[in-house]
Amino acid sequence: MHHLDPDRLVLLALSEEIEELNESDHLAQCEGCRQEIQDLRHVAELGSQAQELRELPDPPAHVWQAIEAGIAAAPAPVAPVIDMAGRRERRQRSRWLLPAVAAAAAAVLAVAGTVAVDRFTNRAPAEPVTARATLEPLKAAPPNAGGDVRVLDDGRMRVDVRNLPLTTGFHEVWLLDPDEPGKMVAVGSLSDKPDAVLPVPPGTDLNRYRLVDISDEPHDGDATHSGRSLLRGTLTY
Amino acid sequence: MSSDDELAERLRAGDEKALRVAYERHGSAVLYLAQRVVGNRADAEDITQVTFVAAWSGRDGFDPQRGTMLAWLLGIARRKAVDRLRSVARDQRATETVQAQQTAPPAEETPERIVDRLVVADELGRLPEEQRRTLELAFFDDLTHPQIATVTGLPLGTVKSHIRRGMANLRRRWEVDGAPSGSRSAGPSRAL
Repeated sequence: MHHLDPDRLVLLALSEEIEELNESDHLAQCEGCRQEIQDLRHVAELGSQAQELRELPDPPAHVWQAIEAGIAAAPAPVAPVIDMAGRRERRQRSRWLLPAVAAAAAAVLAVAGTVAVDRFTNRAPAEPVTARATLEPLKAAPPNAGGDVRVLDDGRMRVDVRNLPLTTGFHEVWLLDPDEPGKMVAVGSLSDKPDAVLPVPPGTDLNRYRLVDISDEPHDGDATHSGRSLLRGTLTY
Repeated sequence: MSSDDELAERLRAGDEKALRVAYERHGSAVLYLAQRVVGNRADAEDITQVTFVAAWSGRDGFDPQRGTMLAWLLGIARRKAVDRLRSVARDQRATETVQAQQTAPPAEETPERIVDRLVVADELGRLPEEQRRTLELAFFDDLTHPQIATVTGLPLGTVKSHIRRGMANLRRRWEVDGAPSGSRSAGPSRAL
Protein backbone atom coordinates (compact mmCIF):
# COMPACT_ATOMS: atom_id res chain seq x y z
CA MET A 1 0.00 0.00 0.00
CA HIS A 2 1.37 3.40 -0.98
CA HIS A 3 0.75 6.11 1.54
CA LEU A 4 -0.14 9.57 0.30
CA ASP A 5 2.70 11.95 -0.37
CA PRO A 6 3.31 14.24 2.65
CA ASP A 7 3.12 17.34 0.45
CA ARG A 8 -0.16 16.15 -0.92
CA LEU A 9 -1.49 15.61 2.62
CA VAL A 10 -0.77 19.27 3.40
CA LEU A 11 -2.76 20.40 0.35
CA LEU A 12 -5.66 18.14 1.25
CA ALA A 13 -5.60 19.18 4.89
CA LEU A 14 -5.77 22.84 3.93
CA SER A 15 -8.60 22.02 1.47
CA GLU A 16 -6.42 23.56 -1.17
CA GLU A 17 -7.14 20.65 -3.45
CA ILE A 18 -9.84 18.01 -3.56
CA GLU A 19 -9.17 14.32 -3.02
CA GLU A 20 -8.84 12.17 -6.10
CA LEU A 21 -10.92 9.01 -6.10
CA ASN A 22 -7.95 6.74 -5.42
CA GLU A 23 -6.87 9.03 -2.58
CA SER A 24 -10.31 8.81 -0.96
CA ASP A 25 -10.08 5.04 -1.19
CA HIS A 26 -6.70 5.05 0.47
CA LEU A 27 -7.82 7.40 3.24
CA ALA A 28 -10.81 5.22 3.95
CA GLN A 29 -8.47 2.31 4.66
CA CYS A 30 -5.42 4.00 6.12
CA GLU A 31 -5.62 5.13 9.71
CA GLY A 32 -2.12 6.66 9.57
CA CYS A 33 -2.84 8.99 6.67
CA ARG A 34 -6.20 9.96 8.14
CA GLN A 35 -4.55 10.87 11.43
CA GLU A 36 -1.90 12.81 9.56
CA ILE A 37 -4.52 14.92 7.81
CA GLN A 38 -6.36 15.45 11.08
CA ASP A 39 -3.23 16.67 12.82
CA LEU A 40 -2.40 19.02 9.97
CA ARG A 41 -5.92 20.40 9.94
CA HIS A 42 -5.82 20.89 13.66
CA VAL A 43 -2.54 22.78 13.43
CA ALA A 44 -3.90 24.90 10.57
CA GLU A 45 -6.94 25.73 12.63
CA LEU A 46 -4.79 26.72 15.60
CA GLY A 47 -2.72 28.81 13.20
CA SER A 48 -5.73 30.58 11.81
CA GLN A 49 -6.65 31.61 15.37
CA ALA A 50 -3.20 33.09 15.94
CA GLN A 51 -4.06 36.51 14.62
CA GLU A 52 -5.49 37.84 17.86
CA LEU A 53 -2.53 36.45 19.81
CA ARG A 54 0.15 38.39 18.03
CA GLU A 55 0.08 41.59 20.01
CA LEU A 56 -0.90 40.48 23.48
CA PRO A 57 -0.77 43.32 26.02
CA ASP A 58 1.92 43.11 28.70
CA PRO A 59 0.76 42.52 32.26
CA PRO A 60 0.54 45.71 34.36
CA ALA A 61 3.63 46.72 36.35
CA HIS A 62 2.21 45.69 39.71
CA VAL A 63 2.26 42.04 38.60
CA TRP A 64 6.04 42.08 38.32
CA GLN A 65 6.31 43.86 41.67
CA ALA A 66 4.21 41.11 43.18
CA ILE A 67 6.47 38.49 41.57
CA GLU A 68 9.52 40.15 43.11
CA ALA A 69 7.78 40.20 46.47
CA GLY A 70 6.89 36.53 46.06
CA ILE A 71 10.45 35.60 45.18
CA ALA A 72 11.78 37.46 48.17
CA ALA A 73 9.34 35.56 50.38
CA ALA A 74 9.64 32.18 48.67
CA PRO A 75 11.85 29.54 50.17
CA ALA A 76 14.89 29.10 48.00
CA PRO A 77 14.58 25.97 45.91
CA VAL A 78 17.96 24.31 45.62
CA ALA A 79 19.92 25.51 48.56
CA PRO A 80 19.36 28.94 50.02
CA VAL A 81 23.03 29.80 49.75
CA ILE A 82 23.02 29.55 45.96
CA ASP A 83 20.03 31.83 45.82
CA MET A 84 21.73 34.40 48.00
CA ALA A 85 24.96 34.17 46.04
CA GLY A 86 23.02 34.81 42.86
CA ARG A 87 21.24 37.77 44.31
CA ARG A 88 24.27 39.40 45.82
CA GLU A 89 26.68 38.96 42.97
CA ARG A 90 25.11 39.61 39.68
CA ARG A 91 28.12 38.74 37.61
CA GLN A 92 27.81 35.74 35.36
CA ARG A 93 29.94 32.91 36.50
CA SER A 94 30.51 29.55 35.00
CA ARG A 95 28.76 26.63 36.55
CA TRP A 96 31.79 24.80 37.87
CA LEU A 97 32.44 27.72 40.16
CA LEU A 98 29.08 27.50 41.84
CA PRO A 99 29.79 24.77 44.37
CA ALA A 100 32.85 26.70 45.59
CA VAL A 101 30.87 29.92 45.82
CA ALA A 102 28.03 28.13 47.54
CA ALA A 103 30.37 26.59 50.07
CA ALA A 104 31.99 29.96 50.73
CA ALA A 105 28.58 31.59 51.04
CA ALA A 106 27.49 28.87 53.42
CA ALA A 107 30.51 29.53 55.59
CA VAL A 108 29.82 33.26 55.58
CA LEU A 109 26.16 32.66 56.39
CA ALA A 110 27.06 30.33 59.21
CA VAL A 111 29.24 33.04 60.75
CA ALA A 112 26.62 35.69 60.08
CA GLY A 113 24.02 33.44 61.69
CA THR A 114 26.13 33.08 64.81
CA VAL A 115 26.65 36.81 65.00
CA ALA A 116 22.94 37.44 64.57
CA VAL A 117 22.08 34.98 67.30
CA ASP A 118 24.66 36.57 69.56
CA ARG A 119 23.14 39.91 68.90
CA PHE A 120 19.68 38.71 69.71
CA THR A 121 20.76 36.99 72.87
CA ASN A 122 23.00 39.81 74.04
CA ARG A 123 20.71 42.67 73.31
CA ALA A 124 17.57 43.84 74.95
CA PRO A 125 16.81 40.70 76.91
CA ALA A 126 14.03 42.55 78.69
CA GLU A 127 11.94 42.94 75.56
CA PRO A 128 9.62 40.00 74.95
CA VAL A 129 9.56 39.35 71.21
CA THR A 130 6.66 37.64 69.46
CA ALA A 131 8.02 37.61 65.89
CA ARG A 132 11.15 38.60 64.07
CA ALA A 133 12.45 39.04 60.58
CA THR A 134 15.85 39.53 59.02
CA LEU A 135 15.73 42.10 56.23
CA GLU A 136 17.68 41.38 53.07
CA PRO A 137 18.60 43.96 50.42
CA LEU A 138 16.70 44.06 47.13
CA LYS A 139 18.10 45.38 43.86
CA ALA A 140 17.57 49.04 44.74
CA ALA A 141 19.68 48.75 47.90
CA PRO A 142 23.43 48.15 48.27
CA PRO A 143 24.40 44.56 49.04
CA ASN A 144 25.55 45.45 52.55
CA ALA A 145 22.20 46.99 53.46
CA GLY A 146 19.99 45.01 55.79
CA GLY A 147 18.14 45.04 59.03
CA ASP A 148 16.30 43.24 61.77
CA VAL A 149 12.69 43.51 62.80
CA ARG A 150 11.24 42.42 66.09
CA VAL A 151 7.57 42.53 66.93
CA LEU A 152 7.21 43.11 70.64
CA ASP A 153 4.39 41.62 72.64
CA ASP A 154 2.95 45.07 73.31
CA GLY A 155 2.14 45.35 69.59
CA ARG A 156 5.04 47.61 68.68
CA MET A 157 7.65 46.82 66.12
CA ARG A 158 11.33 47.54 66.52
CA VAL A 159 13.00 48.14 63.17
CA ASP A 160 16.78 48.25 63.00
CA VAL A 161 18.22 49.05 59.58
CA ARG A 162 21.71 49.63 58.28
CA ASN A 163 23.33 50.98 55.12
CA LEU A 164 20.15 52.14 53.42
CA PRO A 165 20.83 54.36 50.40
CA LEU A 166 20.36 58.09 50.93
CA THR A 167 16.97 59.38 49.91
CA THR A 168 15.49 62.75 49.06
CA GLY A 169 12.21 61.40 50.43
CA PHE A 170 11.87 59.02 53.38
CA HIS A 171 11.98 55.33 54.22
CA GLU A 172 8.69 53.70 55.04
CA VAL A 173 7.88 50.39 56.72
CA TRP A 174 5.15 48.16 55.27
CA LEU A 175 3.68 44.77 56.02
CA LEU A 176 2.79 42.92 52.81
CA ASP A 177 0.61 39.91 52.20
CA PRO A 178 2.85 37.69 50.04
CA ASP A 179 -0.14 35.62 48.93
CA GLU A 180 -2.18 38.55 47.76
CA PRO A 181 -0.19 41.05 45.75
CA GLY A 182 -1.13 44.63 46.35
CA LYS A 183 -2.51 44.04 49.86
CA MET A 184 -0.40 45.82 52.45
CA VAL A 185 -0.42 47.75 55.69
CA ALA A 186 1.57 50.96 56.17
CA VAL A 187 3.35 50.86 59.53
CA GLY A 188 5.24 54.14 59.57
CA SER A 189 8.34 55.96 58.49
CA LEU A 190 11.90 55.63 59.70
CA SER A 191 13.84 58.55 61.10
CA ASP A 192 17.58 59.15 60.78
CA LYS A 193 18.23 56.91 63.75
CA PRO A 194 19.07 53.34 62.86
CA ASP A 195 16.63 51.99 65.39
CA ALA A 196 12.92 52.86 65.35
CA VAL A 197 9.98 51.58 67.37
CA LEU A 198 6.67 51.85 65.51
CA PRO A 199 3.17 50.84 66.57
CA VAL A 200 1.65 48.12 64.39
CA PRO A 201 -1.96 49.08 63.59
CA PRO A 202 -4.12 47.22 66.14
CA GLY A 203 -5.78 44.10 64.77
CA THR A 204 -3.25 43.56 61.98
CA ASP A 205 -3.02 39.85 61.16
CA LEU A 206 0.71 39.21 61.17
CA ASN A 207 0.26 35.69 59.85
CA ARG A 208 -1.16 37.20 56.73
CA TYR A 209 0.85 40.42 56.54
CA ARG A 210 4.11 38.69 57.32
CA LEU A 211 6.42 40.18 54.71
CA VAL A 212 8.19 43.27 56.09
CA ASP A 213 9.12 45.77 53.40
CA ILE A 214 11.17 48.95 53.67
CA SER A 215 10.57 51.32 50.76
CA ASP A 216 11.99 54.57 49.49
CA GLU A 217 9.09 57.03 49.28
CA PRO A 218 9.29 60.39 47.51
CA HIS A 219 7.60 63.44 49.03
CA ASP A 220 4.88 63.40 46.39
CA GLY A 221 1.84 63.33 48.64
CA ASP A 222 0.95 59.87 47.33
CA ALA A 223 0.30 57.64 50.33
CA THR A 224 0.59 54.39 48.37
CA HIS A 225 3.73 52.29 48.06
CA SER A 226 6.21 53.83 45.60
CA GLY A 227 7.14 50.41 44.21
CA ARG A 228 10.75 51.09 45.17
CA SER A 229 11.45 48.46 47.80
CA LEU A 230 14.86 48.40 49.44
CA LEU A 231 14.72 45.64 52.05
CA ARG A 232 12.47 42.70 52.70
CA GLY A 233 12.15 39.88 55.16
CA THR A 234 9.49 37.47 56.38
CA LEU A 235 8.32 37.44 59.99
CA THR A 236 8.82 34.17 61.79
CA TYR A 237 7.77 33.13 65.25
CA MET B 1 18.55 37.52 22.37
CA SER B 2 19.48 34.73 24.72
CA SER B 3 18.21 31.26 23.96
CA ASP B 4 16.12 29.09 26.23
CA ASP B 5 19.26 27.06 26.96
CA GLU B 6 21.07 30.10 28.20
CA LEU B 7 18.05 31.27 30.17
CA ALA B 8 17.77 27.86 31.81
CA GLU B 9 21.38 27.98 32.87
CA ARG B 10 21.10 31.48 34.26
CA LEU B 11 17.91 30.56 36.11
CA ARG B 12 19.54 27.54 37.67
CA ALA B 13 22.41 29.72 38.80
CA GLY B 14 19.90 31.91 40.64
CA ASP B 15 19.99 34.89 38.29
CA GLU B 16 16.77 36.83 38.84
CA LYS B 17 17.37 38.82 35.67
CA ALA B 18 16.82 35.64 33.68
CA LEU B 19 13.36 35.37 35.23
CA ARG B 20 12.73 38.96 34.24
CA VAL B 21 13.71 38.13 30.64
CA ALA B 22 11.34 35.15 30.64
CA TYR B 23 8.61 37.38 32.06
CA GLU B 24 9.12 40.07 29.45
CA ARG B 25 8.92 37.49 26.69
CA HIS B 26 6.10 35.34 27.97
CA GLY B 27 4.26 37.24 30.73
CA SER B 28 1.60 38.40 28.28
CA ALA B 29 0.90 34.84 27.06
CA VAL B 30 0.67 33.58 30.65
CA LEU B 31 -1.75 36.38 31.54
CA TYR B 32 -3.83 35.67 28.43
CA LEU B 33 -4.08 31.98 29.26
CA ALA B 34 -5.03 32.69 32.88
CA GLN B 35 -7.62 35.24 31.87
CA ARG B 36 -9.20 32.85 29.37
CA VAL B 37 -9.34 30.02 31.90
CA VAL B 38 -10.51 31.80 35.06
CA GLY B 39 -12.45 34.52 33.31
CA ASN B 40 -11.59 37.50 35.47
CA ARG B 41 -8.75 39.92 35.40
CA ALA B 42 -7.82 40.08 39.08
CA ASP B 43 -7.50 36.29 39.39
CA ALA B 44 -5.65 36.16 36.09
CA GLU B 45 -3.05 38.66 37.29
CA ASP B 46 -2.73 36.74 40.51
CA ILE B 47 -2.19 33.48 38.64
CA THR B 48 0.45 35.20 36.52
CA GLN B 49 2.25 36.21 39.69
CA VAL B 50 1.95 32.77 41.23
CA THR B 51 3.15 31.16 37.99
CA PHE B 52 6.39 33.14 37.82
CA VAL B 53 7.08 32.69 41.52
CA ALA B 54 6.52 28.94 41.08
CA ALA B 55 8.77 29.02 38.02
CA TRP B 56 11.46 30.63 40.15
CA SER B 57 11.10 28.12 42.97
CA GLY B 58 10.96 25.23 40.52
CA ARG B 59 13.56 26.54 38.10
CA ASP B 60 15.63 23.37 38.31
CA GLY B 61 12.69 21.60 36.70
CA PHE B 62 12.98 23.45 33.41
CA ASP B 63 14.68 21.30 30.79
CA PRO B 64 15.11 22.97 27.39
CA GLN B 65 15.49 19.51 25.85
CA ARG B 66 11.89 18.69 26.65
CA GLY B 67 10.18 21.87 25.52
CA THR B 68 10.51 25.63 25.27
CA MET B 69 10.42 28.13 28.10
CA LEU B 70 7.03 29.30 26.84
CA ALA B 71 5.57 25.79 26.99
CA TRP B 72 7.02 25.23 30.46
CA LEU B 73 5.53 28.47 31.81
CA LEU B 74 2.17 27.83 30.14
CA GLY B 75 2.14 24.35 31.69
CA ILE B 76 2.60 25.82 35.16
CA ALA B 77 0.02 28.55 34.51
CA ARG B 78 -2.50 26.05 33.16
CA ARG B 79 -2.26 23.93 36.31
CA LYS B 80 -2.49 26.98 38.58
CA ALA B 81 -5.52 28.29 36.69
CA VAL B 82 -7.32 24.95 36.75
CA ASP B 83 -6.54 24.59 40.47
CA ARG B 84 -7.99 28.05 41.02
CA LEU B 85 -11.20 27.13 39.22
CA ARG B 86 -11.50 23.99 41.29
CA SER B 87 -10.92 25.72 44.59
CA VAL B 88 -13.44 28.41 43.73
CA ALA B 89 -15.91 25.67 42.88
CA ARG B 90 -15.14 23.91 46.14
CA ASP B 91 -15.51 27.04 48.23
CA GLN B 92 -18.82 28.12 46.80
CA ARG B 93 -20.26 25.00 45.33
CA ALA B 94 -23.79 26.12 45.98
CA THR B 95 -23.75 29.53 44.40
CA GLU B 96 -24.93 30.34 40.94
CA THR B 97 -21.75 32.06 39.84
CA VAL B 98 -19.83 28.86 40.32
CA GLN B 99 -22.31 26.77 38.44
CA ALA B 100 -21.77 29.20 35.63
CA GLN B 101 -18.00 28.89 35.97
CA GLN B 102 -18.04 25.12 36.12
CA THR B 103 -19.75 24.93 32.83
CA ALA B 104 -17.94 27.98 31.51
CA PRO B 105 -15.10 26.73 29.30
CA PRO B 106 -16.80 25.21 26.30
CA ALA B 107 -15.15 22.19 24.70
CA GLU B 108 -13.65 24.46 22.08
CA GLU B 109 -11.80 26.42 24.72
CA THR B 110 -10.23 23.93 27.09
CA PRO B 111 -7.12 25.22 28.82
CA GLU B 112 -5.10 22.75 26.74
CA ARG B 113 -6.50 24.19 23.58
CA ILE B 114 -5.59 27.73 24.62
CA VAL B 115 -2.05 26.56 25.34
CA ASP B 116 -1.89 24.95 21.89
CA ARG B 117 -3.03 28.17 20.25
CA LEU B 118 -0.43 30.22 22.10
CA VAL B 119 2.32 27.78 21.19
CA VAL B 120 1.39 27.68 17.50
CA ALA B 121 1.03 31.48 17.41
CA ASP B 122 4.48 31.80 18.94
CA GLU B 123 5.98 29.45 16.37
CA LEU B 124 4.26 31.31 13.55
CA GLY B 125 5.98 34.47 14.78
CA ARG B 126 9.36 32.73 14.68
CA LEU B 127 9.14 31.40 11.12
CA PRO B 128 11.36 32.88 8.43
CA GLU B 129 9.71 36.01 7.06
CA GLU B 130 8.43 34.66 3.71
CA GLN B 131 7.20 31.42 5.24
CA ARG B 132 5.32 33.32 7.90
CA ARG B 133 3.82 35.82 5.47
CA THR B 134 2.65 33.04 3.16
CA LEU B 135 1.00 31.10 5.97
CA GLU B 136 -0.65 34.23 7.33
CA LEU B 137 -2.22 34.93 3.95
CA ALA B 138 -3.54 31.37 3.91
CA PHE B 139 -4.71 31.37 7.56
CA PHE B 140 -5.90 34.90 8.19
CA ASP B 141 -6.99 36.01 4.73
CA ASP B 142 -8.09 32.59 3.56
CA LEU B 143 -6.32 32.98 0.22
CA THR B 144 -5.67 30.04 -2.09
CA HIS B 145 -2.11 29.28 -3.09
CA PRO B 146 -2.47 30.88 -6.55
CA GLN B 147 -3.96 33.98 -4.92
CA ILE B 148 -1.04 34.12 -2.50
CA ALA B 149 1.34 33.86 -5.46
CA THR B 150 -0.41 36.82 -7.08
CA VAL B 151 -0.42 38.94 -3.93
CA THR B 152 3.20 38.27 -3.03
CA GLY B 153 4.64 38.01 -6.54
CA LEU B 154 6.26 34.72 -5.57
CA PRO B 155 6.19 31.79 -8.01
CA LEU B 156 3.42 29.29 -7.19
CA GLY B 157 6.00 26.54 -6.53
CA THR B 158 7.71 28.76 -3.94
CA VAL B 159 4.39 29.51 -2.24
CA LYS B 160 3.62 25.81 -1.98
CA SER B 161 7.03 25.05 -0.57
CA HIS B 162 6.73 27.83 2.03
CA ILE B 163 3.33 26.51 3.06
CA ARG B 164 4.66 22.96 3.30
CA ARG B 165 7.73 23.89 5.34
CA GLY B 166 5.78 26.34 7.48
CA MET B 167 3.13 23.71 8.25
CA ALA B 168 5.85 21.18 9.11
CA ASN B 169 7.42 23.68 11.53
CA LEU B 170 4.12 24.53 13.21
CA ARG B 171 3.27 20.91 13.54
CA ARG B 172 6.62 19.94 15.03
CA ARG B 173 6.34 22.71 17.60
CA TRP B 174 2.78 21.70 18.47
CA GLU B 175 3.88 18.10 18.99
CA VAL B 176 6.76 19.12 21.24
CA ASP B 177 5.15 21.98 23.13
CA GLY B 178 1.40 21.51 22.95
CA ALA B 179 -0.50 20.77 26.14
CA PRO B 180 -0.12 17.09 27.09
CA SER B 181 -3.76 16.08 27.21
CA GLY B 182 -4.47 18.20 24.16
CA SER B 183 -6.68 17.35 21.29
CA ARG B 184 -4.22 15.27 19.34
CA SER B 185 -4.87 12.20 21.45
CA ALA B 186 -8.61 12.66 21.27
CA GLY B 187 -10.78 11.07 18.67
CA PRO B 188 -11.92 12.53 15.36
CA SER B 189 -14.70 14.49 17.03
CA ARG B 190 -12.10 16.74 18.65
CA ALA B 191 -9.73 17.00 15.73
CA LEU B 192 -11.72 19.57 13.82
